[in-house]
This record gives sequence, C-alpha cells and structure tokens, in this order.
Amino acid sequence: MTTTALEHELKEMIIETLELEDVTPADIDPDEPLFVEGLGLDSIDALELGLALQKRYGITLESDAESSRQHFANLRSLAALVEARRAN
Amino acid sequence: MRHLELQARPWRERDADARVAWRPPADATAGWVSMGAWRQRIGAWQALLASHADGSGHWLLFDPDPLEFSAALVAIWERGEQAILPADDQPATLAALRDSGQPLGTLAGGLRAGGDRDPVWSHRPLPTVAVTLYTSGSTGEPQRLDKRFAQLDAELTTQRALWPYAEDLVIGQVSHQHIYGLLFLILRPLAEGVPFATRPCPYPETLHAWLAACAGAGLQAALVSAPPALSRLPATIDWPAVRHAQGRIYSSGAPLSRTASDLAQALLGSPVHEVYGSSETGGIAWRVQQQGETWRTFPGLAIESDAEQRLWLRSPHLADPQSWQRQADRVVLDPDGGFRLLGRADHIVKIGGKRLSLTAMDRALGELEGVRRAQTVTLNRRELRLGAIVELDPAHIPHDHASHRATVKRLRRDLARRFETPALPRYWRFVDAWPTNAQGKLSATLRERLFADLDDRRAPRWLGERTLAEGIEVTLEVPEHCRYVDGHFDAQPVVPGVTLVHWAMQLARRLFALEADFAGLERLRFPQPLLPGDRFRLTLARRRVKESESLMITCESARGLHASGRLTLTERHHVS
Repeated sequence: MTTTALEHELKEMIIETLELEDVTPADIDPDEPLFVEGLGLDSIDALELGLALQKRYGITLESDAESSRQHFANLRSLAALVEARRAN
Repeated sequence: MRHLELQARPWRERDADARVAWRPPADATAGWVSMGAWRQRIGAWQALLASHADGSGHWLLFDPDPLEFSAALVAIWERGEQAILPADDQPATLAALRDSGQPLGTLAGGLRAGGDRDPVWSHRPLPTVAVTLYTSGSTGEPQRLDKRFAQLDAELTTQRALWPYAEDLVIGQVSHQHIYGLLFLILRPLAEGVPFATRPCPYPETLHAWLAACAGAGLQAALVSAPPALSRLPATIDWPAVRHAQGRIYSSGAPLSRTASDLAQALLGSPVHEVYGSSETGGIAWRVQQQGETWRTFPGLAIESDAEQRLWLRSPHLADPQSWQRQADRVVLDPDGGFRLLGRADHIVKIGGKRLSLTAMDRALGELEGVRRAQTVTLNRRELRLGAIVELDPAHIPHDHASHRATVKRLRRDLARRFETPALPRYWRFVDAWPTNAQGKLSATLRERLFADLDDRRAPRWLGERTLAEGIEVTLEVPEHCRYVDGHFDAQPVVPGVTLVHWAMQLARRLFALEADFAGLERLRFPQPLLPGDRFRLTLARRRVKESESLMITCESARGLHASGRLTLTERHHVS
C-alpha cells in the first residue's frame, strides 16, 4: 500500500471512528494539526483514536505518553507510525 | 501508617525519610521522593510567596505537577492564606478570576518556585477556608465554593474508614484541581501517608508501563480514574502481565456504564469503586456495579427524596453538617437504603467527566457574531457529546460544504476561549428560523428530527420547514457521509436525481400523511446535481390532476435550481 492510500485509509478511519459528520477526507490536510486548532480533536478523541489504531492495525503505543502522542500530531506522522509498526 | 487530619498538619508530622511521592519509570530519577525532599519544595514556595505577597492573602493556584501543586498549597496554608483553585486554565476562566488572587504555577503569568529551601514552620493558625473551588452553577455563572478544613477532614475520615489506601502508591488519571482528584490524589495520600505518583497518567499505555514497573518492584498501586479513561482501555495491551500490581480502582465524575465497569474489571483484574458526589457536596455514595447497581451512601450521611424525586442530603462533608440540603439530582430510593440516579433536574451535564452548564454554553453561543439564538442538546454518541441548534443571520447561513466547515470552525474557535475542547459542540444544525411545533416549542420530536441523519445514513439533514402559498418548503442539507452520495476516490461526488425523488416522497408521506406510492416522473428536470454539504430547499405541493394524485417538487440551493417537476402517485391498496 502506498503512503497516499494509507493516508486516505487513516482519514476515513478518523472520520468514521470519531463521527466527524461534516469532514471529508479532502478536508484533512496531512500536515495540519489533528488536535485543538486544525481538525479540532480533543482528549477523548485521542483515547478513541489510540483504541482504533490498536484494533485495526494491532499497533501498541509507547508508554511514554508524550512521545507516543507526538505521532498524533498530524496525519502524516500518524501514517508514518502505522507504516512502521503495523502487525502484518 | 497513622492517619492524620489536615488540621494536624501531616506535612510537618511525618518522618523526613517517609515516602511522599513515587517517580514513574520514564523519569530520570525514578523512585521515591522523601518527605524531607518535598518539604524543601514547600520551603521554595514559602520563599516565593513571601517575596510576592501583596497583602491580599489570596493565591490562584494551577499546576498539573502534583509535587509542586501540593507544596504550593501547603506553603499557602502555612501562611494562613487562601488557595483558590481554578477548574482549568482556559483564558476566559482566568479572565473571570483575575482579580481574585495572584496567579501561581503554570497559569499565564503564574509565579513558579525557585530552588529548594528549608521550610519555616510558624505558629500562624491555618486559614478558615482550606480551598476555594469554582464550578459551573445552574445559571452558568461560575459558582464559588469554599471548603473549610473541618469539611475536608470529615471527608478524609469517611474515605479512610470505608476503604483505607492499602496500596504502596496512588496513580491518578484525573486533575487535582477538582475536588475528587484533590481528595484522592493529594489530600488522602498526605493524610494516610501513602505516596502519590509525581505525574498524571492520562493514557492506558502509560498506565501499563507504570504497573509493569510496580509489578517488577513488588508494589501495588491504587488507581484514581474516571469514565473517559476506564471506558477506553484497549484489550490488546498485555494487562495480565501487570494485573497483580493493580490495587483498588476508583472512578468518579460521572456514572460508568456497566459494560465499561465489567471490561475494566476483566482487563485490570480489580473491581471499579465508583464514587458519587459533587464539588458542592463532596462524596455522597459509592457502588461496585458487580455487587449491585444501586448507590450506597457513605457512613455518617443521611439521604431522602421529595415529591419531585429530588435528592436531599445531610452530610458531614457539607459546610453545615446538621442541615438538610436539596440537590439538583433526582433519585429513586431503594428499600435496602440504596438509591438509583435519574439524572439532573437542571441544565448541567458531564462531558468527558467534567461538568458543563448548558445554560452557559447556550449564552456564550448566543453572543457570537451572526448568532440570533442557540440551544445545545446532549446526544448519546460516543458517551455524551453536544449538538448545537443555531439560528443565524441570513448573511451567515452556510450554503455549502466549505462555508459550513468555516462557520463551525469559527464558532468552535470562539467558544474555545471559554470552554475546554471536549465540551464544544460536535454536531451543528444551522437554522434560518427557530424550529417550533404547534405549541411554539422546540419539542423533543423536533430536536430528534434535526439530528436524525446521524443514525440514518440515508436521510438528509433536516433544518426546518414552513408553509408557503405554493406548498411546504423544507430546508435540508446533504450530509457529507450520506449513503446515497455517489462518487469515487477522485471524482466529485454528487447526489443522484433518484435520491431527491426518494427524499421528496419520504417527506410527502409525513407532511401530507400521504398513503400513496411513487408511480412515475412527469416533466421532471434535474438541471444540476446537489453536492455533499449543500444546503437546499425542497418545496412540495400535492395536486390532483384529472383523476390522478401527484406531487409537485422544486429543489433549489444558493447555486440555483436542482430539480423541478411532478411525481405521479398511485394510491396504496389496503387489505381490509
């Protein structure tokens, strides 16, 4: 799977999991922050996103909360995380 | 360890080498923080306060670091002065409290203590008020709550009598700026002599790593948590490996669902002890759902309910322990002395475990540019989220996907100055006119209709309707994730004409109580397709032409005409 296809898949996962009713994949700029400003996600979304990543890709996040959540900075970093850790 | 009341100043009494805090494994200096080392932080704060005291004796304290927070709190108490704890560090919260005290800690412009110093113990008495908390009152105005030492001590004694901390340390997933975290993460550990973790532990992966460290060291940790964290524990984490380090689990802030309670117990291997209470009342009752759904009152408290099912409380945790106080929650008392919660009688909700006044949210929204009127509603989606029904000036009504997104972004950004992100409305319905029923009310049926598309991926987003000379005009939007929207990866998705016909028929059945089926199209044109996010008006009129029943439809948006023409109908045949 190319990075672009993975990015698209992640966009759809975010929209579906977090029920972002008026957001389309095209609205998510891969370099824009996912949280607060940018897409406007919050702390509850972060927990749900972590859960969805583990369910879908079998990814386990680090225990070090700060560095783990850095992967959630934007879509590109999230895709890099999935690319590097997905259980194949 | 001997239990000490706050009024006995446990921070002075305990041995210097006693453990006061536990540094989790990721810290450079993992291990224990001694009472002696922490007292040096108290000394550092005392020096800071002494050099900045302005005579008011009021300090505004916000610091997510439990060690610094507790040291600052004690330093304020030792001066006989008053600690005011803002619930959050949102700019609007601080603006409202600006004049109530000098800011300390991580607040904007907050003073922070410097290097370690020996503490100075004087004969100065403790202040009358231990802490002042702010919480959302039912009017929406932040409500000030003074907690005296006697109240806090009564609460600490109750908790300890019921479930003393038998663990080696306490891990927290909630803020100590609120009463539950303050009691369970700072004050109980100090009174009972049990160390607290030096950092909050917001994520499940962090909890796993800390429990693993505890397991390796033969330690057990109590967990002070809340529904947002406990209801989202990933099953994929290797909990069995660390389970024996997990001691008692506490949850408060909102009721935990039975499913989440069962799952947390299955994963962490320990039952969840839920605490019911509020900033005003302190702890009222507790339950372990696997032992029973009803809440059991804490020892020493008495409860009643009145004709309106409102809870009445007499409690040593209240400012006046002798008098009965009426609460906003409605309850049903059980014969065995327990009770069930029915919800609040006012407009206060809990989102992500934090209290929010819908009245305050509605007022804040109503003050924003272009907004004529607004009402937020709670939607039981992914626990609890807010939807907003907002009447906008015509010039501000969004007509397509891009302007809808921009409007939502602007309103959320403006609200974010006052409210924390999880509290911001997630689902927005922009109306041209306030939707009301025949009695002039925005009824529950109308509220459901406004958000019906969330559960029905085939429905358009309904935004109101009115009767005109030419028929009934319904205002709708094409939901971005509507099943009928046609389009693939790269192509611009559109709404097929047949979907418009289907929507028109559905609406006609409700509006005209039509018992007829679609039979065919007549002179029906679709000049241009509707796009996802488009706002449009569908005007419907019932006509009888010769012998046959038909439905005239017109569909227009800001971009022009999308459909016009006639649908012919056949009457439904009933088998009698």
